[in-house]
Amino acid sequence: MKPFLAWIPGLSRSQWLGAAILMALILFALLEGWLHQGDSTRQNLSNYLAAPSAQEWFGTDHFGRSMLARMGDALRLSLMLSLFCVATAALLGTGLGVCAAWMGGITERLLNFLANTLLALPGLVLVLLLAAIAPGSFLVLYLAISLVLWIEYYRVVRAQTQVVIRSPQLEASRQLGFGRWYLFRRHIWPAIRPSVLTLAAFGAGNAILALASIGFVYVGLQPPVAELGLMVVELLPYYNDAPWALAQPILAIFLLILGFNLLAGKAK
Amino acid sequence: MIQRILINRLLQAVMVAWGVGSLSFVLMRSLPGDMAYRVAAGRYGQDNVSAEAAEWVRQELALDLPAWQAYLHWLLDMLRLDLGVSLISGAPVIDEIKHQLGHSIELAVMAILLAALMAFPLGILSGLRARGWLDRSLLLLSSLLRAQPVFVIGLMLILAFAVYWPLFPVAGFGQGNDWVLPAFSLALALAAVSSRVVRDSTLAVIHSPYYQFARVKGLSEWQTFRQHGLRNLSVPVVAFMGIQLVGLIEGIVMIESLFSWPGIGHGLAHAIFSRDVPMIQGTALMMGLLFVALNTLVDLACYKIDPRGRPE
Amino acid sequence: MCYLKRIVCFGLLIGCLFSPSVLAQPANNHLTIGGPFEFTTLNPSQNGYVFTRMQVVETLVDVSPEGELLAGLATHWDVSDDQLSWRFHLRDGVVFHDGRVMDAASVEQSLSHALQQHGPLAQAPVERLAVDGDALVIELSQPYQLLPAVLAHYSTVVISPDSFDDQGRITRLLGSGPFKIAVFAPPHKLGVERFEDYWGQVAAIASAEYLTGHRGESRVLQARSGQADIIYTVDPASTGMLNRVSHVQVQSDLIPRAILIKLDSGHAFLKEVEARQALSLALDRSGIARAVLRAPGSEANQLIPAPLADWHLADLPPIERDLQQAAALLDDLGWEMGRDGVRVRDNQRFSLNLITYADRPELTVVATAIQAQLAELGVEVRVSVTNSSAIPAGHQDGSLEMALIARNYGFIADPLGVMLSDFGSPQGGDWGAMQWNNTDVAELLKRLEGEMDADTYHATAQRIAALLADELPLIPVTFYTQLTAVNQRVENFRFDPFERSYYLNEMELSQ
Repeated sequence: MKPFLAWIPGLSRSQWLGAAILMALILFALLEGWLHQGDSTRQNLSNYLAAPSAQEWFGTDHFGRSMLARMGDALRLSLMLSLFCVATAALLGTGLGVCAAWMGGITERLLNFLANTLLALPGLVLVLLLAAIAPGSFLVLYLAISLVLWIEYYRVVRAQTQVVIRSPQLEASRQLGFGRWYLFRRHIWPAIRPSVLTLAAFGAGNAILALASIGFVYVGLQPPVAELGLMVVELLPYYNDAPWALAQPILAIFLLILGFNLLAGKAK
Repeated sequence: MIQRILINRLLQAVMVAWGVGSLSFVLMRSLPGDMAYRVAAGRYGQDNVSAEAAEWVRQELALDLPAWQAYLHWLLDMLRLDLGVSLISGAPVIDEIKHQLGHSIELAVMAILLAALMAFPLGILSGLRARGWLDRSLLLLSSLLRAQPVFVIGLMLILAFAVYWPLFPVAGFGQGNDWVLPAFSLALALAAVSSRVVRDSTLAVIHSPYYQFARVKGLSEWQTFRQHGLRNLSVPVVAFMGIQLVGLIEGIVMIESLFSWPGIGHGLAHAIFSRDVPMIQGTALMMGLLFVALNTLVDLACYKIDPRGRPE
Repeated sequence: MCYLKRIVCFGLLIGCLFSPSVLAQPANNHLTIGGPFEFTTLNPSQNGYVFTRMQVVETLVDVSPEGELLAGLATHWDVSDDQLSWRFHLRDGVVFHDGRVMDAASVEQSLSHALQQHGPLAQAPVERLAVDGDALVIELSQPYQLLPAVLAHYSTVVISPDSFDDQGRITRLLGSGPFKIAVFAPPHKLGVERFEDYWGQVAAIASAEYLTGHRGESRVLQARSGQADIIYTVDPASTGMLNRVSHVQVQSDLIPRAILIKLDSGHAFLKEVEARQALSLALDRSGIARAVLRAPGSEANQLIPAPLADWHLADLPPIERDLQQAAALLDDLGWEMGRDGVRVRDNQRFSLNLITYADRPELTVVATAIQAQLAELGVEVRVSVTNSSAIPAGHQDGSLEMALIARNYGFIADPLGVMLSDFGSPQGGDWGAMQWNNTDVAELLKRLEGEMDADTYHATAQRIAALLADELPLIPVTFYTQLTAVNQRVENFRFDPFERSYYLNEMELSQ
């Protein structure tokens, strides 16, 4: 917990705003799950596209499904996916980046080759190709998005670690016989931490965007899953009858990405 | 120097070609479902796809070949720069891609031009008057736009300028003004980011010692800016535009799907649906190569503007 | 000052970009049509329907909206007493788009090409084709009264010999219809021009184009904004929006297509008729018709819809939702409600996979509705959306449990063709019965293949329809109503339930 807390005092005003937006969304997602416990797939065809009311705070969709329950589900899904993807990508990218910088030689070359090849293909195209293997699989989407996200970590971490490794401080510690883990914690991690955390916030935003985009071209998760991009497509034909329904997933995507972007602060 | 850039990029292009081709080959072979059936559905439509149709396709395309043999065939053809024929239409992949690529490039060029037309004036203005009302409102606007997926921007534009005020066609192509909405959607997404980069570079340049000195030596604000400002601020901006190209290509997939634009992104999505392996390889390959080519252009542009710096 | 100049310049530039783009107004005597179908080739066996609908090509036999066979490029036909030799007498004065006059040899060449492609003609028992004066003779190896209906199918169109290259491939499509191809830009655009030398009614409109719009939302917006004059296959969800604008009319027509649940009648859970009946009773068809498809009254109580009168049981009562009776049926079969709300028998949960495909957007929507309705009965349905090819593939390898499909019984003008492939053999058909142990239907169908008497045909067809309604090898859900958005400037619009022709040559455009 310590490095995270150490990072907090440096938050700017807009980062606080981002954090607040995200906390509100997370709180909504969790509270909806605990308190409302709505079934996001339960249909009621006699009550479709109902406007928000006391019973249905967010109205109902074209199947009469509770929009409150669906938004809760969709937000949990997006947040969960971004959390998983970012954690995986950060671990993988940071690990390999440090490895490459530390080992150098053939390891570094191989990893660079891999990263460059992957980087030459636009990320979304890669996700699209992978998602097509198993349409509707959360696992495949998670793997595909992580596969795209780790490269950024790898490149940044490798570049920064290279600088640290050449530094006299690290050399001194090494002379004193400290182990690699100590060297990493004492010297490398403090240097790369801000970048890793910034990238994490950006990465989370990108993961959410990728999920929604894939849903929008029908290659992502399949109905009846509540997923923000898919909900936009499904509710689009009713934009005239039920603009409030269409506005909800769009607003959610917007707030999620805005929150993460603000939290990330200024791009390096 | 230029040679080095070109050789590096060429190597990357070869890697991309092999990597993308092999990857899509493996992926498509591991996709669930019998390929012959998929291709038959793509060819004959849902009313006419049956076991007989699939058998027909299997015979004609020799789909019974073991995977490694098919892969070798593909690799040999690649070396001869032959991308094969589409399983669905039977037309050479290269012809179809040429057709699609033209439309995509048209869209991309329009989007980049529009983005530049928006980003540079607005970015420079807000950089020169940093923290003024224009700067602040543009910051807000850019943050709002950046938090939208590009398809939402497209949707909003459709609802506003095609439905509410029917100024432009909703979808389709071939009418002269149909590129406006898709290109604008992409351009807005691009400009939202690049206008901020232009603004930051401008700010950095006008606070630099050489710029201040030029002002002190008596040049007018406009003269100083034209002679010392523009070129210096363009390097980071052009470099950044290069990074943004990923976003552009990703955006093209979304936007083409939304506007039924017959480009390469739309072609890729369709090829994936109907399991048209040569088309998938071809389109993914073209996108990769397009990306590398654009990056090369950016490298060269940076080099041209500022021969001091070694790109990469 | 200078900034001001820049701003002005910028404004001017933007202005220039916009200037050619005034209101998207269609040209005066030019008709724009939008639809969901993409086309990739000129080959009639693959994309022939696009070219018959745009009236570029024609077939020997035509079909009336009621499903009767009419004279097309053949004025009449007769069959030998042994029913093995058919003679089609060709129309005089038919000219192809390249100026060549149609003769029996050109018809023979076109049909020989069709015989070598996938399609209903290739599956017919055709022995050989022969030219006899101005008639084409088709010799069969066994009686096949479907032949004229097959010759109305889009894969059997007649085109000029100049359409083929040396290797017999189609490089141009020179048909005989009232329109000829002007622009062929697959997959999105097909432009046609009026053909002045057409043998029938020469078109009033000078040119037309077909634009593919694969997103339903976009198509509706095109209709609403006036960018397109006619939009076929309108998304039911969007009708509300179109009804509110005065210049577009939404026309709704029943077509010989039905949404059905295909199921594995040999599956351990589904082999009892009662189980299938329970599933059928648990469906809220009117809810689906009203709320999902926005087409009240399209509930299906049998497989084949009313336009195909021979095969439709007019007196069959509708199937009302009756969850209690459905539950009772399953109770009797030993299915007990489990703790998680899913019925259990012999430690097996009543849980099935249902596949459907995204080609027709309404299917996925109906599938989610069915999933929710069967859940109330204690039947768990796992929906997966794939490609339409998964249905025949799943049928062949036996992995299919349930599938939600849209079946076109008017694929060949005589539904017998589709019925034969769906129910004609003990294994069933890719889009029909699966492991359904019923030999009566197959036998009756076989008998119809050579049946020339209309009354006997009708009676037998009715018997088959009754058997299918009782035994439920497929569960009917709804019939299809095709929604078409038509701009008010289009006059004499007519809809072909068999979707063979857009009747462009009859239309007129008012200003």
